[in-house]
Amino acid sequence: MAWTSPPSARRVAVVTAATVVAVALAVACGLVVGPTSIPASRILGDALSHLGVGHSSLTSLQSLIVWQVRAPRMVLGLLAGAMLAVAGGTYQGVFRNPLADPYLLGVAAGAGLGATVAIVDMSNAFATPAWTPLLAFAGAMVAVTLTWLVGGRNLRSTPATLVLAGVAVSALFTSAQTFLQQQSSTQSIARVYIWLLGSLANASWHSVLIVVPYVVACTGVCVAAGRALDVMSVGDDEARSLGLSVRSVRLVVVVASSLGTAAIVSVVGLIGFVGIIVPHIVRLLVGTSYRRILPISVVFGAAFLVLADTVARTVMAPSELPLGVVTAVIGAPVFVLILSLRRTGSS
Amino acid sequence: MISLDGVTVTAGSSTLLRDVSLAIDAGTWCTVVGPNGAGKTTLVAAVAGLRRPAHGQVRIDGQDLHELHERDRARLVAFVPQHPEVPAGMSVGEYVALGRVAFHGVLRAPSRRDRDVVDGVLERLELEGFRGRDCASLSGGERQRMVLARALAQATKVVVLDEPTTGLDVRHQMDILEMLTKEVLECGLTVLATLHDLTLAGLFTDRLVLLHRGEVRLDGAAHEVIRSRELAECYGTTLRVVNVDGSDVVVPVRGDTGR
Repeated sequence: MAWTSPPSARRVAVVTAATVVAVALAVACGLVVGPTSIPASRILGDALSHLGVGHSSLTSLQSLIVWQVRAPRMVLGLLAGAMLAVAGGTYQGVFRNPLADPYLLGVAAGAGLGATVAIVDMSNAFATPAWTPLLAFAGAMVAVTLTWLVGGRNLRSTPATLVLAGVAVSALFTSAQTFLQQQSSTQSIARVYIWLLGSLANASWHSVLIVVPYVVACTGVCVAAGRALDVMSVGDDEARSLGLSVRSVRLVVVVASSLGTAAIVSVVGLIGFVGIIVPHIVRLLVGTSYRRILPISVVFGAAFLVLADTVARTVMAPSELPLGVVTAVIGAPVFVLILSLRRTGSS
Repeated sequence: MISLDGVTVTAGSSTLLRDVSLAIDAGTWCTVVGPNGAGKTTLVAAVAGLRRPAHGQVRIDGQDLHELHERDRARLVAFVPQHPEVPAGMSVGEYVALGRVAFHGVLRAPSRRDRDVVDGVLERLELEGFRGRDCASLSGGERQRMVLARALAQATKVVVLDEPTTGLDVRHQMDILEMLTKEVLECGLTVLATLHDLTLAGLFTDRLVLLHRGEVRLDGAAHEVIRSRELAECYGTTLRVVNVDGSDVVVPVRGDTGR
């Protein structure tokens, strides 16, 4: 039988340090890499000058590109990556299902329908672009609430009932979304597709400010739930016998993950794969305890998404690759590589 | 002490336990026997607080279990299920420490005292050497000892076990039951267990309760219940009891349905 031995403290320390380095690298890439070449040393000098050390040598246009275009995009990427990764890891723990991702309970389908309504918008009631995130967020919350009412409210319901309800609700919302899309103009279809594939291209400090409170609060709740999720790994009945209020934990954790994911999705669209691949990579590296997986996933997810976005906006510059495509193209081979290394390492 | 007062447990339209009343004294070991489907697991789950009775009360030390919050209940009664879920990748030390969650809570790390209790239990059950091992890598006997250790780490006065000897060879069955006996005699633990093996039940237990179709058919000293006509009747087979060196051995006899 193949098993993974619990990780040594040294291994956990090394992985933690590596993820912190990765996040620093991601921040640097996010600020420095782009179609306009601006040397890193000058960006650093400008950053220090804002803190009152030395003086800046950036032109005002360069400064604008770095601090109003690249920086908010990088910060939004950090927030989105952190939230999606930790939400995915949390769902995998709370449903004890390795295939669970943050979109499991209908967030994606609901947000997709909301965004499509705003984009297609036959009556022009939602003509301003600001409606898209609002309706996406509303759609996501309606879908998750519906899933909960159908599958989670009953005392008898099990995690499987909730997941199945999520599948049903997602199917319903997706079919409504597809219908709307099919009724609309070619131009709208293209915009809906771009939204569905996810992108950080529209990031601004305003969008960062909107999602920050959700991401901080929801990530905090998920990370704090690590110990409870470890207890739940022995199953609902045994966890109850050990003194855990399984139903309350599940409710709090599902609300936090869904709310945070909905906030992120409403601003950046549906970026797939981060929520499933990041926690799994972290699990392969530091073992199965959610006390380690969740906090490291926050940091690693943030780094992963910003690095993926750097690739998305450079390989075909000046046009951009869809971020979701890049996360999958980078994530899948990395995942397979670590999986095979781990196998040979433990046998 | 444990007391069940007119406990009825239902699932849908079927009644799993009907009007069961029992009182088990502190520091004693009571074993529930009976054929498959008699309601043993349901009874044990009700006493562990995991199965809410439709009627009646389950009390431990006078407190109604089903009125208590999970965390308070976990300080009164510990539970060893028949098929415990063993999470791969968790170390044996971490697994046993789960028994302390009701004390330190899920938002705090185990305290000094929690760690001391876990150390003590690992030592008592001879598990120190396994502390850093992946709990999924243990053999059946070691695994069952580890699950018992988790229950004892809860430091409750009552431990409820559902078929603790399932899947173990004869020596490991004896080991587990000896360890429990020691806890009963030395620490005043109160044990409610179900066992399939009637010989072992008679060998280790003060008192046997015979359950059949959700009702208590017989309740008495082990040697009386083992030699009773009802026992063979409930199982629907012929049983012979042979005395070997002062202990009763229950032997099934072939060829006769016993009716």
